[in-house]
Amino acid sequence: MKRIAIVEDEPAIRANYADALRRHGYEVATYANRADALGAFRARLPDLALVDIGLGDDIDGGFALTRELRALSATVPIIFLSARDSDFDIVAGLRLGADDYLTKDASLPHLAARIAALFRRSELSAAPPSGDDVLERGPLTLDVPRLTANWNAQRVDLTLTEFWMVHSLARFPGHVKDRDALMRDASIVVDDSTITSHVKRIRRKFQAVDPAFDRIATVYGMGYRWNAE
Amino acid sequence: MRLPRIALSIRAQLLLVLTVFLALPWLGVSYVRELERLLRDAQERTLAGTAQAVATALHDRPRLFATRPDGIAAFAQERTDDAAKSSDRAPLSASPEVAQIIDGLSRTTARIWVIDRDGTVLARAGSLKAPPSQLPAESFGARLSRATTGRLYALVLDQPSEDFADDAADNGTPGGRDVEGALAGILTTERRPTSDAKAVVVSAAHPIWVGDSVKGAVIVEETGNAVLAQRNLAFERLFNIVLAVLLVGSLALTLYATWLSSRIRRLRDDAELAIDEQGRVRAALASSNAGDEIGDLSRSFASVLARLSDYASYQEKMAGRLSHELRTPIAVVRSSLDNLKQTSLPDDARVYMVRAQEGLARLTTILTRMTEAARLEQSLSESERERFDVAKVVAGCVDGYRLAYPAASFAFVRPSAEFIAVGAPDLIAQMLDKLVANAVEFGRDGVIDISLTRDDGDALLSVSNEGPPLPEMESGHLFDSMVSVRGGGDAAEPHLGLGLYIVRLIAEFHGGRAQAANRPDAAGVVVSVTIPLPH
Repeated sequence: MKRIAIVEDEPAIRANYADALRRHGYEVATYANRADALGAFRARLPDLALVDIGLGDDIDGGFALTRELRALSATVPIIFLSARDSDFDIVAGLRLGADDYLTKDASLPHLAARIAALFRRSELSAAPPSGDDVLERGPLTLDVPRLTANWNAQRVDLTLTEFWMVHSLARFPGHVKDRDALMRDASIVVDDSTITSHVKRIRRKFQAVDPAFDRIATVYGMGYRWNAE
Repeated sequence: MRLPRIALSIRAQLLLVLTVFLALPWLGVSYVRELERLLRDAQERTLAGTAQAVATALHDRPRLFATRPDGIAAFAQERTDDAAKSSDRAPLSASPEVAQIIDGLSRTTARIWVIDRDGTVLARAGSLKAPPSQLPAESFGARLSRATTGRLYALVLDQPSEDFADDAADNGTPGGRDVEGALAGILTTERRPTSDAKAVVVSAAHPIWVGDSVKGAVIVEETGNAVLAQRNLAFERLFNIVLAVLLVGSLALTLYATWLSSRIRRLRDDAELAIDEQGRVRAALASSNAGDEIGDLSRSFASVLARLSDYASYQEKMAGRLSHELRTPIAVVRSSLDNLKQTSLPDDARVYMVRAQEGLARLTTILTRMTEAARLEQSLSESERERFDVAKVVAGCVDGYRLAYPAASFAFVRPSAEFIAVGAPDLIAQMLDKLVANAVEFGRDGVIDISLTRDDGDALLSVSNEGPPLPEMESGHLFDSMVSVRGGGDAAEPHLGLGLYIVRLIAEFHGGRAQAANRPDAAGVVVSVTIPLPH
């Protein structure tokens, strides 16, 4: 049975998340603060950690905890969960090694879906690629079960949200996806400018692999489009 | 009743105050007058003393006043005529003995007469007119002052003159009330103008006693020129000082007032510049370090502005903060509802479940909108600027709106020229989204007119729709955070008054500005944004 650690200072949210995840068949341990969580992590690593950034008076406690958890294990999937959704927090969280970032607007089914996807990814990352469910668009290869993206056979390190956005765009090249559709496909509820910055970040990640990358086009007033060749 | 307001600058006010110092010359004049009076008194006393001294020397010497033959009187008369022609002649004397006595007492500028009871001149010594003396070489300053202020003073002051009609010398005998008084036995002094009024003669007459009877009189005369010269000198000196003080004082005060008023003007300009016409704080006021009241005023202005700006930014950030605070309780509600959905609910409870989730969805929309402005503010500072064609962005957006709002109709003619601006095309699209969303909501199904024109080096993007006009007084605050002028109504979307605030933020990011006005035909509203185009 997979073991999930929830570190969240708000008791009602903590309990609700724990109930929902238990219903999905996970074993759940909850912690209200950084010290408790870290003590438990040292004793036994969870299979996945759900960490709130602000832990009571410890405003950036979640960031510190992530850094400490990453030091303990390089592979444990970590999802940030926060009331904040500023770009700064997202970037800082992801840079510290979190695998995904969700605001508390996300519904429990979304959360459960993400957790399942992350588990699947970590399970499959060891196994050889099966060949099914792989989306290929020119140099782009999206391995849907493993949630990995490759450009010219080079790995592009995308978060879950970013992966689903690329997947949504690349599935039908030439079709314009508006922001609402992207949000739906990536299972997030954010405002337009967050989508814009997500897209910018995706472009930058691809450009890090291939400086000439320009497949994601902005169609002003409508949304984004994956350009085929 | 209100008095008319007199607008006087600080400089003018200080100069007005300076007129108090005009009392200084008046004080000077009084002082000089007093001085002159004292000098005159002193002169009269000196003359009286001289007359007394001479008379004392001649008292009780009856021999001197013996009746003389007529020849002597004739001789005296003849000599007097000569004397009138040339004053430096040896003093004439009908009585050599008397002459001998008074010669020793004579002074340069005084004239002494000795007469007998009949007014016959027994002896005379000295002259009223001073011999032309060699003037000492004047210093440059003295010459300068004589050439400038001296001329001015000459207009107001009587100048001593050596060119006057010497009546007594002309007549050969002294006359006047002092002589009559002396012959009556009383020491008398008199001051009288010369017949041509060019000078004043001061004379003192003392009786000469022989026993109990007056045998003659001693008359000592002098002009008032010496006193006049002294007075003029004092007057000039005093006035030179007063003038210099006044000049330097008013110059210093004018400079001081100019400095003061320039500081106050600068403060006023700074204060006016610090707040724009919408009452927003544009830039913090640089507070002055000066320790005086103006520095104090500037500091208090700066702190007032800082507080105002704090308050404004608090207001602008309130939406973001509020949404942040609301997120956690909403997450509690959402996760509780999600959990509830997983349990078996009776069918009649499902209705409430659906309603609760609808309400939650709306709440989430509100939250998202509220954060949008705050996030935008944050992302503006990190946005990268690029060169892009505004016309292309607008044209693309309008195509999108035709799909997104099938019920509305859009009029837009893409200009043939490019509108190259520097900024973020995404933000321009976001801004246009807000403008169009507003127009669609107000539009009453009319045509939404989008135009992009060139206006004096700027791109002018305007969105016009039919609909209710703007209330007059709100137009200045329309672009502020959380200001909405919509009447209630049945709109499905919540109005937070953040749309136009976002428009303003993006316009300002591009160095432009946003404004809203009623259409000239009063049938709708035009919101326009100017975006400067670099050359």
